[in-house]
Amino acid sequence: MTRRILAIVAAVIVGCGVVALRPPSQLASIFAAPQAVPAAPTPVQVKLPLEDKSVRFAVIGDNGTGDTPQYEVAAQMEAFHKVIGFDFVTMMGDNIYGSHKPQDIERKFESPYKPLLDAGVKFYACLGNHDDTNETLYKNFNMNGQHYYSFKKGDVQFFVLDSNYMDAKQLDWIQNQLSGSTAKWKIAYFHHPLYSDGRFHGPDLDLRKQLMPIFEKYGMNVVMSGHDHVYERFKPEEGIYFFLVGNSGELRYHNLRQGSNIMAAGFDTDRTFMLVEISGDKLYFQTVSRTGQTVDSGVLQRQPKPPAPVQALQQVH
Amino acid sequence: MPMPRSLLSSSKESNEYMKLRQKALAGLAVPKNTDSPEKIAEFQKQLAGKIRDLRPQARQGDLFTPEVVGLFQRLVAMAMRGKDGALIRTSFQRAEPVESGHLEVNTAYPDGLPLQSMPPSLLLNLPRLPKELEYRFVGRELILRDTQANLIVDVIPDLRMPQRK
Repeated sequence: MTRRILAIVAAVIVGCGVVALRPPSQLASIFAAPQAVPAAPTPVQVKLPLEDKSVRFAVIGDNGTGDTPQYEVAAQMEAFHKVIGFDFVTMMGDNIYGSHKPQDIERKFESPYKPLLDAGVKFYACLGNHDDTNETLYKNFNMNGQHYYSFKKGDVQFFVLDSNYMDAKQLDWIQNQLSGSTAKWKIAYFHHPLYSDGRFHGPDLDLRKQLMPIFEKYGMNVVMSGHDHVYERFKPEEGIYFFLVGNSGELRYHNLRQGSNIMAAGFDTDRTFMLVEISGDKLYFQTVSRTGQTVDSGVLQRQPKPPAPVQALQQVH
Repeated sequence: MPMPRSLLSSSKESNEYMKLRQKALAGLAVPKNTDSPEKIAEFQKQLAGKIRDLRPQARQGDLFTPEVVGLFQRLVAMAMRGKDGALIRTSFQRAEPVESGHLEVNTAYPDGLPLQSMPPSLLLNLPRLPKELEYRFVGRELILRDTQANLIVDVIPDLRMPQRK
């Protein structure tokens, strides 16, 4: 475990950009000024390497308001998609706020993301506390009727969980899925964050208690969540990289706790979405605001595999 | 104490509800993987309507019988006073507690009202349910909700959350 942590620390120091290395107190002041939507579109500034055969995707969370800022974030996603060509979008939940009538699905999902949907970009949703459980039946969310599910893209396996209802059956499912996974990268995402400096909600400690031992045991690489309406990247916790993207539609202005010792970077003065590119043992990320500014970027090194469980060793011998 | 993990799921009342639900589903096509939100809304409406038609006299306490309510009160009290009580309480607070007026059996869970997430340590203490049903807290009420029909199947109106002693 010590070797794993040292590798991560080295990766963070070597890999992350200038913004990411600033302490949280400085980050808050950098991003304190409210941002106005520019009259002309900001030129797309890509900070990902765009390597051959890499896995590229976007991340959004707490997006389904149907209001103007959601549409503005979606327009930025479209602009970046034209350059980057990401294949899919992972959704951190609260996909549809408020009423769930058919016209709401149109206004809060189909319409803002129409250019991406028309371009064949797939959306993989998880359920937030504002979502209707029958969203699992909606084809464009790719949940196949399941509250929790898994899918693979290249070397990456995604584990999409329902943090609203983490019962024994789901916990068993996660363990079974992870124990059988041979994927190089394992990424879990779900709505409620295990770590958060958001003052409105904060971390779900009970969920953390149930999930962290499983994630540690089976070598989860990355965990992403939403719920708090901010963007936050964390220093690795137990060797796992954590992201919170909960401001792709909603926003809680200046809601990040100051002086946090777990935050690596944070942004709470406008909406964002995140872009991720995974190539070999590296995960590149770029977080973009509603106005097209890059508010965080960097590269993370894949962690060494955790030691094989004792039980497995006994089976070998 | 009776077998808490199976009391509700294997009870006569619960089995009857699941049989009735199966009957309601007959002839309805579950719109798996449809790109039509209208079809999903129509399916939900039809399933809820047929369940209502099949249990027109449904009332509070049909599944949450006095025996089950007593058990739930004990189980919740045990969980809240146990070592995970503080975590459960914090989880409730941070998940955006849901408040509403009293929810009636056989009515739809209100459109647009968030669903309070269930703290795992509490959920692990409650009897398991068939996948079509779930527990949810709305204020002090514990409801049993049919997820596909979005229907309130039963309610425990005042399940107290004891403070840690």
